[in-house]
Amino acid sequence: MGDHNNMKILLITTMISSYPGANTVGQAHLHYSPGTYIIRVPDPVVFPESFYMRCYEKGIDGIIIMSSGSDCPYEGAYRRLSERVARVYVQMKENGIDPSRLKLTTICTVCKAAFLKEINEMQKNILQARADKEGVAA
Amino acid sequence: MEEEKNTQSEENESEEIRVGVYVCHCGGNISDVVDTKAVVEALKKNPNVKIAKDFVFMCSDPGQKLIIDDIIENNINRIVVSACSPTLHETTFRKALTRAGLNPYLYEHVNIREQDSWVHKGENEAATAKAIRLTAAGVEKIARQDPLEPIVVNAEGHVVVIGGGVAGMRAALALIKRGLGVTLIEKGDRLGGRALELDRVYPTEEKASDIVSQLENAVRAEKIDVRLNCEIELIEGFVGNFDVQIRGKDSKIDKVRAGAIVLATGFDHYQPYEGEFGYGKSPIVVTLPEFNKLIADMPQSDKFTYKGKDIKNLAFIHCVGSRQMEGVHQPQADGRVNDYCSRVCCTATLHTINKTLDKFPNLNIFDLYKDIRTYGHGHEDYYEKASKRGVTFFRYTDDSIPEYAPSSNGSGATLTMKDVLTWNEEVSIPADMIVLATGMVPRDISNLVGMLKLPTGTDRFLQEVHPKLRPVELANNGIMIAGTCQGPMDITESCAAAGASAAKVSILLSKKTIEMDPYVARVDEAKCDGCKLCLAECEYKGALFMAESYAHVNPALCVGCGACVAVCPPRAINIAGWTLDQFDGMIDAISMEELEPATVPA
Amino acid sequence: MSAATIQKKADVLVVGAGIAGLQASLDLADQGKQILLVESQPSIGGRMINLSKVFPTLDCASCITTPRMASVAHHPSIDLLTYTEVNKIERTNGKFHASITKKPRYLDETACIGCKRCEEACTTFLPDEYDHSLGAKKAISIAFTNAIPQYPVLDMDECLLCGACAKACPTQCINFMQEPQEIEAEAGAVIMATGYNLTEISAKKQYGGDIYPNVISPLQMERLLAPHGPYGGVMRPSDGKIPDSIAFVQCAGSRDKSLGVPYCSRVCCMYAIKQAMLLSGSLPIADITIYYMDIRAFGKGYEQFYQNAKAMGIQFVKAKVGRISEDENHNPILRVERQEDCSQPEEVTHDLVVLSLGMVPAWIPDRDGIIPLEIGEDRFVRSVNEKITPSLTSMEGVFAAGTMTGPKDIVDTIVEAGAAATEAANYLRSQEGR
Repeated sequence: MGDHNNMKILLITTMISSYPGANTVGQAHLHYSPGTYIIRVPDPVVFPESFYMRCYEKGIDGIIIMSSGSDCPYEGAYRRLSERVARVYVQMKENGIDPSRLKLTTICTVCKAAFLKEINEMQKNILQARADKEGVAA
Repeated sequence: MEEEKNTQSEENESEEIRVGVYVCHCGGNISDVVDTKAVVEALKKNPNVKIAKDFVFMCSDPGQKLIIDDIIENNINRIVVSACSPTLHETTFRKALTRAGLNPYLYEHVNIREQDSWVHKGENEAATAKAIRLTAAGVEKIARQDPLEPIVVNAEGHVVVIGGGVAGMRAALALIKRGLGVTLIEKGDRLGGRALELDRVYPTEEKASDIVSQLENAVRAEKIDVRLNCEIELIEGFVGNFDVQIRGKDSKIDKVRAGAIVLATGFDHYQPYEGEFGYGKSPIVVTLPEFNKLIADMPQSDKFTYKGKDIKNLAFIHCVGSRQMEGVHQPQADGRVNDYCSRVCCTATLHTINKTLDKFPNLNIFDLYKDIRTYGHGHEDYYEKASKRGVTFFRYTDDSIPEYAPSSNGSGATLTMKDVLTWNEEVSIPADMIVLATGMVPRDISNLVGMLKLPTGTDRFLQEVHPKLRPVELANNGIMIAGTCQGPMDITESCAAAGASAAKVSILLSKKTIEMDPYVARVDEAKCDGCKLCLAECEYKGALFMAESYAHVNPALCVGCGACVAVCPPRAINIAGWTLDQFDGMIDAISMEELEPATVPA
Repeated sequence: MSAATIQKKADVLVVGAGIAGLQASLDLADQGKQILLVESQPSIGGRMINLSKVFPTLDCASCITTPRMASVAHHPSIDLLTYTEVNKIERTNGKFHASITKKPRYLDETACIGCKRCEEACTTFLPDEYDHSLGAKKAISIAFTNAIPQYPVLDMDECLLCGACAKACPTQCINFMQEPQEIEAEAGAVIMATGYNLTEISAKKQYGGDIYPNVISPLQMERLLAPHGPYGGVMRPSDGKIPDSIAFVQCAGSRDKSLGVPYCSRVCCMYAIKQAMLLSGSLPIADITIYYMDIRAFGKGYEQFYQNAKAMGIQFVKAKVGRISEDENHNPILRVERQEDCSQPEEVTHDLVVLSLGMVPAWIPDRDGIIPLEIGEDRFVRSVNEKITPSLTSMEGVFAAGTMTGPKDIVDTIVEAGAAATEAANYLRSQEGR
């Protein structure tokens, strides 16, 4: 758990589906790492590539974009978002940031298990990325 | 309006940011895990925060009073409450701001219950650190927030209904009774649409002509502006303010201004291609609408004569032009097959079969079907009655579509198929006449679809925003749909859809103006360098455009998705209330190592 | 000591806060009408909030319903009464007068903060009706996670009066002595949206739906499929085994004169196909069979949905299921008479069977009182102008929305609720100045 607590994971959630989804997890009093920070947006398509890169610069360890997927109310937004995420991956590689530290997924208003699973996986990815980096350094 | 905005932001620059932070205990729900006092102490060190307090129940009247008093007495001009989820009490606190005379959008609600204390039990220290960072993020966000006002556009109290069939008339009547002006536009020379083709309708057995005249008389009795022989030349504008140009028979153009538009453009019958089950090649093969017309005025008789010939065996084939499969059926003009069910044809066919047997009880009737879909009120009775009256049912599949062969003497035909119901036995059905239960296709409204960029589905019918959330609205704000332009439906269903569209129009036009959320794109014209990158991102016609070398937003058409925001190099375009600078400030607060808040200038 | 009767006034009284009542209320309130919305259950949301996903879009039902529930709860023009019964509605001098009883939750709603501490403290477990008795709840509990409002109900019949909940409550809002609250309401118009019940699972004796543990109702299957369901996955009730072979028996409560339900219930084909698709997603190796008479996929996008299910490998067998028995391991055995290929009756064993039950009206005026509306032969409330104004009932000023006039799916229900709202608004306008 100690490992997890010095980790900062940013969850980008949507007003229509994954933010209420995070609330459902709370209403069920389930447990996950306190190193998770949830922000809500109308749609994650608003963020440019530079936003993600700035987050990593500032010390965010992992970002999970919890989109509305097929429930997305905005025309073409999901397609644009996934195309943008693909470009962020390219920039991450160029800057030596492990791509597993970014994940685009879909979370609905009652996806409790999926929500927790994404956080757990991201924690594993971050630890792995740290270990890999140390390995390289060593 | 632009000038107003400028003065506002100037005012803001001169105004000192004075944030009040309030941390709720939620009666222990938060404070048992999160050290609320520590949160308050940490936030007090933030240069933008002038007051920080904690309280047992912020949502209670005394809690709200704390905020109101601080706004009035201590000149607090931004509020952050860290408590439960904003879905519960964001509106509660916004109202409190309004009561204190502060713009309600200068409020940020931070969730430290559902997304902190409830999910981090036993990790009190970490949960407290998280609450501090989240609250600080709320402060950073609200410190960068301007006052917002709802977007207000004029709402013309007049509606244009396009299509004078049952659905169009029904919508027009509902709307005029709501006190709105209505122009009803019909392409043909009379009202009634496809219902004029019908004799009696299931399940009430009313005369379709009675339904039409009942509606038409009501339309004539009200002050509905009916335009027969008219078509749409052009529609411009946006919700609340459409300019509709109507072209009359004499090609004269007339203009009508409308707050909303209801599309009730209806359907066409599927037209079988030449040779489809012998259609067009043999006179004994007709469509169901053709057959209904044929027998409508025939008297009862023990003999059914058609084109001088006694008809003894009559076959009906279901799903002609519907439920088609790729690779099995011939594609339509656009290369697609009609893979949808036309909904009404099963009951319509069985209704016709019963009517036919009423008139000609000696006929042998064969019914070739895939599934019998008599789903609605009273529909099943027609199926049961037909079975009892000796109609022979054969079930075919896409692997064994009935094959049509004209008989050697040229007067009849044989339909050959494998009957699924009798162990795939090959059966030959002799038919003196064949009736094809043709489905529905949408009326050709390509001019409107192109002009307004109306969304259509793969079935070519108009596509609602969401079948359950917004079933009678198009993505085009202010444009509703009623009836079969959306998909196959019967008269009852079309009238219900018309009523639902009328409700949506009434909501929209219930006041003289339409108020919309302010969360739409805004352009900082001083920053915009006119690169036009944003234009390609916008999916909403007319929402974003260039004028005088910088980008402009029509707030009535923008939905606030933010697709344009991400591609603007100088960050000149932002969603009001959700700017990238606000998010940067939040990330700074979240990522701060020490829990002393960073001094980020707003 | 019972409190004095409360008087309320509204433009429209809406009875039932399922998806039809919610939509009708919103469509009227957004036009500026004052609504009194009365729901007998502890939460609004009706049957729909109980479903997993909905056809043909496979949207999660909660995601579609929750925003509407929240809009209703926060709407300034909607006065919402939950856990409240309407006893009688009478029309006098063109106005409707309703006598209403708010049942005691045994707590002060104005003080409750929905924190569930009472629920955690309670030691009495009861079957959970929200999970159709597949799961358990406490004697004091909030109906379900995303219930609106977030107030619990204390089940006084089962409560041991131990006081643990009252002790745990941070606002001291528990009141074991709470009495029902009587309410008199006056309204200009009424919308009835009382919804449906499923046909009884025990109705068809040959199927043993009430005897065999692994023969379940479709609403139970909805809960098994829901992401927040009772078992956290699809397991069969008798032994928790993950089923390898699941069957759906169509028309198990409809198109059957022997059950008094000769009509088609309109939704069973589609919900069975939907559940089959969801099952094949969560249990990819399971065999799924749908025994049917006709597949009635008639709505927009439904036929394509059906064809997708066939392409996914779900077996569709045109057959009649004569009866169901079970073996010693509670595996249901179906006696199947195929209506295609081979007509020899055969016995087929499955791990889990869903009886696709039909719809009957939840409220029947001549059985349940309240307001004497005319009904049809099918016992649903009758529309007096079915073709042109389907929401018109036999009583002036009373309109019907949703499944109370006959089986229908969610899309048709929502559309019809909008139409009922339009009729009610126009009726109110016609009454002005009278």
